[in-house]
Amino acid sequence: MLYEARVEVGLKPGHSDPEGETTAHSLKELTYPIKEVKVSKTYTITLKADSHNAATIIIEEICKRMLANPTKDSVNFKVAEVK
Amino acid sequence: MRREEINVAVIRVGGTNCDLETKRAFEDSNMKAEIVHFNQLCREKDLLDYDILVIPGGFSHGDYVRAGAIWAKRLMARLGKKIRQFVDEDRPILGICNGFQVLVEAGLLPQFEGISSFPEAALGTNIPTGYNCRWVYLKLEDHSHCAFTRKTASKRVLKIPVAHAEGRFILAREKKRKQLEKLMENHQIVLRYCHSNGETANDEYPSNPNGSLYDIAGISNPTGTTFGLMPHPERAYFGWQLPDWTRNDGPPTFGDGRFIFESVAEYLTKKF
Amino acid sequence: MTLYIQRDAPFQICEIKIIEANNKQLLRISQELGIGLSLEEMKTVRKYFTKKDRNPTDVELQTIGQTWSEHCFHKTFKGTILTPKGEIKNLLKTFITKATSELNPSWCISVFEDNAGIVDFNNEYAIAAKVETHNHPSAIEPFGGAATGVGGVIRDILGVWADPIACTDVLGFGPLDYNHNKLPLGTKHPRYLFRGIIAGIGCYGNNMGIPTVNGAIFFDESYVGNVVVYCGCLGLLPKSKYAKNAKAGDVILLVGGKTGRDGIHGVTFASTGLTDKSEELSRSAVQIANPIEEEKLKRAIIKVRDHNLGSAITDLGGGGLSSALGEMAHRFNCGASIELNQVPLKHEGLSPWEIYISESQERMLLFIPKENLEKVLEIFHHEDVEATPIGELTDDKVVKIHYNNVEVAALDTDFLFAPPTVKRYAKWNDDLAFKEPILDEPDKLESYLLSLLSSENIASRESIVRTYDYEVKGNTVIKPLHGEFGGPNDAAVLKPLTNSWKGIVVSSGMNPRYGKIDPYWMAASAIDEAIRNNAAVGGRRIALLDNFVWGSPEKPSMLGSLLRACEACYEYAKGFRTPFISGKDSLYNESSMGSVTPTLLITAVGIMPDVRKAVSLDLKSPGDLLFVVGQTFPELGGSEYYRLRDVLGRSIPKVQVIQARTTMEVITRAIDSGLVRACHDISDGGLAVAVSEMALSSDYGLDLRLRNVPRADSIDRDDFVLFSESNSRFLVEVPKAKAKDFESTAGSVPHAAVGEVIESPRLRIYGLENKKVVDASTVELLTAWKRGLEDAL
Repeated sequence: MLYEARVEVGLKPGHSDPEGETTAHSLKELTYPIKEVKVSKTYTITLKADSHNAATIIIEEICKRMLANPTKDSVNFKVAEVK
Repeated sequence: MRREEINVAVIRVGGTNCDLETKRAFEDSNMKAEIVHFNQLCREKDLLDYDILVIPGGFSHGDYVRAGAIWAKRLMARLGKKIRQFVDEDRPILGICNGFQVLVEAGLLPQFEGISSFPEAALGTNIPTGYNCRWVYLKLEDHSHCAFTRKTASKRVLKIPVAHAEGRFILAREKKRKQLEKLMENHQIVLRYCHSNGETANDEYPSNPNGSLYDIAGISNPTGTTFGLMPHPERAYFGWQLPDWTRNDGPPTFGDGRFIFESVAEYLTKKF
Repeated sequence: MTLYIQRDAPFQICEIKIIEANNKQLLRISQELGIGLSLEEMKTVRKYFTKKDRNPTDVELQTIGQTWSEHCFHKTFKGTILTPKGEIKNLLKTFITKATSELNPSWCISVFEDNAGIVDFNNEYAIAAKVETHNHPSAIEPFGGAATGVGGVIRDILGVWADPIACTDVLGFGPLDYNHNKLPLGTKHPRYLFRGIIAGIGCYGNNMGIPTVNGAIFFDESYVGNVVVYCGCLGLLPKSKYAKNAKAGDVILLVGGKTGRDGIHGVTFASTGLTDKSEELSRSAVQIANPIEEEKLKRAIIKVRDHNLGSAITDLGGGGLSSALGEMAHRFNCGASIELNQVPLKHEGLSPWEIYISESQERMLLFIPKENLEKVLEIFHHEDVEATPIGELTDDKVVKIHYNNVEVAALDTDFLFAPPTVKRYAKWNDDLAFKEPILDEPDKLESYLLSLLSSENIASRESIVRTYDYEVKGNTVIKPLHGEFGGPNDAAVLKPLTNSWKGIVVSSGMNPRYGKIDPYWMAASAIDEAIRNNAAVGGRRIALLDNFVWGSPEKPSMLGSLLRACEACYEYAKGFRTPFISGKDSLYNESSMGSVTPTLLITAVGIMPDVRKAVSLDLKSPGDLLFVVGQTFPELGGSEYYRLRDVLGRSIPKVQVIQARTTMEVITRAIDSGLVRACHDISDGGLAVAVSEMALSSDYGLDLRLRNVPRADSIDRDDFVLFSESNSRFLVEVPKAKAKDFESTAGSVPHAAVGEVIESPRLRIYGLENKKVVDASTVELLTAWKRGLEDAL
């Protein structure tokens, strides 16, 4: 079966996010009422797996192995079957 | 082992782009250097035929995902066993800039408990943000341990350029204190950014060009054989590469970067 | 009547009923296909197919449209120009290449015929140089437009088998504080363009590992609607490896990235003005950059070159396959036969004409003798780069395109490369609209100096230059940012070979403000500036590149001004004995805000025998004398000082070419004799800004007496001596002990010791009446200079 996972990799709370801060700064300069900007990266991964559970296990592993650096990154993902 | 017998593998993959000048530096220090494509190392060539492994600067695989991450995972997946042996036999590994990022992503640095299967540190986005090409001052910290800096230094402050967007050395927030202490205890902090007078940069921009924790510019593993640094010693190898050589009548013969290459040659000739 | 008929084929291929079409319909076809051909040109096409007794396919018409576009064929420069004084045939030959052919230097290897100009470096190696513009794509999508501009010019260098060793970039923006509310619909704010374009340029060069070593940034109101992006590249090639000898039977190999719908009609887009619809219409003209792909491509191409495996090479730029293939077949007096479904695609659903004219990036075309094909494919495979044989050269001078084994185009190259000559009208109004303003001389010249130092055209570019890796490859001897304080060196010096001290010197000259007054003197000034920047660090034997950015040549006044600039190009290239070796024009820089200010960029490529003699601008040693070399005239017409005071005059700087050439030679001789400790050219902001830059780049200060400055009698005011922008002038630091030698070297060229380097880091300037007019610490100067663009990014 075909699954689609949406993986979002962001910075763990407490780690400085210079990209977000710079963006926030320039948005404020354009007079928008910005409080904070955080930057994250989204991967949309389509994969084959026998079950939702199996797909989730694969995605978890991919996140650990490649997509996130546990020193600074936090990961969120959702897996859904492609109909 | 004689200097002329030292075999250096400067390895590359799509996006590596500092291989030629890195090879040139090793050759000028009388070692044999060869640029080897990662594909060759996976197929017809043997990593263990070399005495030094060098991962030069560049944007390996476009630095997609995170700087150095993709190549690091490929490196360990394809050559993990041989790299472990390389490290166990105390053969030197050098990572410059993108190479440093690769070594950290591969778990080869800092090696708190040996080679790690996940990164134990990170080189985060610069503070201030953005790509930054500039000459910086570096203080030799715990250097006598490290194969690449063990040579008696004529001075404690080196002038070498950096050029990167992701070079801010960081540790996991919750372990930061302990791990930093451990790095010090193990004499792993080799190079720190400093002011021109040698005083610690103390996180002051631009002396510390990227916001690195504790002004860290380069670290080694506990045995001192694997070394990664953000500055580019190959760009400060010759005197004519220096930014201020025109102050004198003609350039000096060498720059401060040469020390790194000379040190590792000395390490190998003494050890093996 | 329906003009388009789908042919009986299992894919999309259209026949266009051009033979039956009347004039009105011809124009409609040109418009509907987006090929931008005029009625005259469409009639020529109709005639051709009437003679062939068949109607063209969409592939054929698209090919003709691409090949005949201004961007690919440069019809204005090659056309006929009618002026009140008579007719000029071919601007390019009459002015630009004429200087080169009359000078005919033995060290020019290839000029105006290949993807880049090629000159000698040493016995073994040659230098390749090329500068391109990428204005329109950058106006629509700044990051991608600028990045692909860099990628494109690097491929031009690869296209003469050279290894790219350095990039340059010169940019023009509207004022960064431009009022948002005044922007017309569809025009992006200068600050947005600024950030995107700089990021794009940095991204491509840095990722490919090619140092960006020289450049400039100008701000002008006319660039709000017409942003200007020049990208240049230098390369090095072993002379024996310059293979351009393809023949019938050679395999046509498409290498690099896949082909997609990105970048369709880029050239026709570049050959018209920008409107508020441009963004929508040109979405497909925007290209996505992949520098890593090009880095791998470069490695493979250099390997093919080193093993002598190819017979020719060209890059796929404007017009994609259609223009590259046609040009190469034509060049080698061949035809070609290719199969379009061999072309690797990014996505399905492209019709044959789209594949043929797509401008997808990172692709090149190689011509390979059959016996070498296997080896070449292996090299590309090794570098993980796709390489696909798509056909071969034939001996019939016809380009035949097939798709699914069906012939979809067959065009004679003789027809394809002989479009009808364009006739245009030029008019130049000599009666200058500008009057010299009457300005009072202010008391506080120091505050004017500080304001000039932080004005946007003069302020430090450090915050931008640091985002470019100018050190990669480790061969940058004189850098764009000098030493501890990031001083503005006049030119970059590269040492490209490990075993030789010989250097390449690259510099540029551009004065858009002068272009508003008189393009003739603008061009002369740009040439003088590029050459003197080069000479200031030690460069000589200089070759020039010209890049015109102009408004629509269909406006007689625009073309008239272009003509003026071309006349100067001939006069001064000849006079300085500096041949043009390559060039490019970008016309139709028009927007709803009007035409671009006529802008000519001159890039100078010199050499120096020993890079260890290169000279930087920073003051070196207290007690040394500071000489001014060259004469100062009251020439402030387009000066930065006038700009600061919000006026424009007509006293534009002139060039006295024989005197100027002798001045450059004096500098070269003085540097070679070891008499020069520091040297800096005098340009924007005049003498005052130049001395400030020398001081703020160093630990020392200067005492300067204006009374001693060699000057015309007609200049009698402190502010004019300080801020005049007369050409052909240098500031030279000379040790006292060598002052006599220096003076005898300078000979008849106006020169005088005007100051002395002092230990105390202050700039003190005494006026014509010996009154102190400036007294500022170098820290003040440095702070003012760095402040200007500090937060721009």
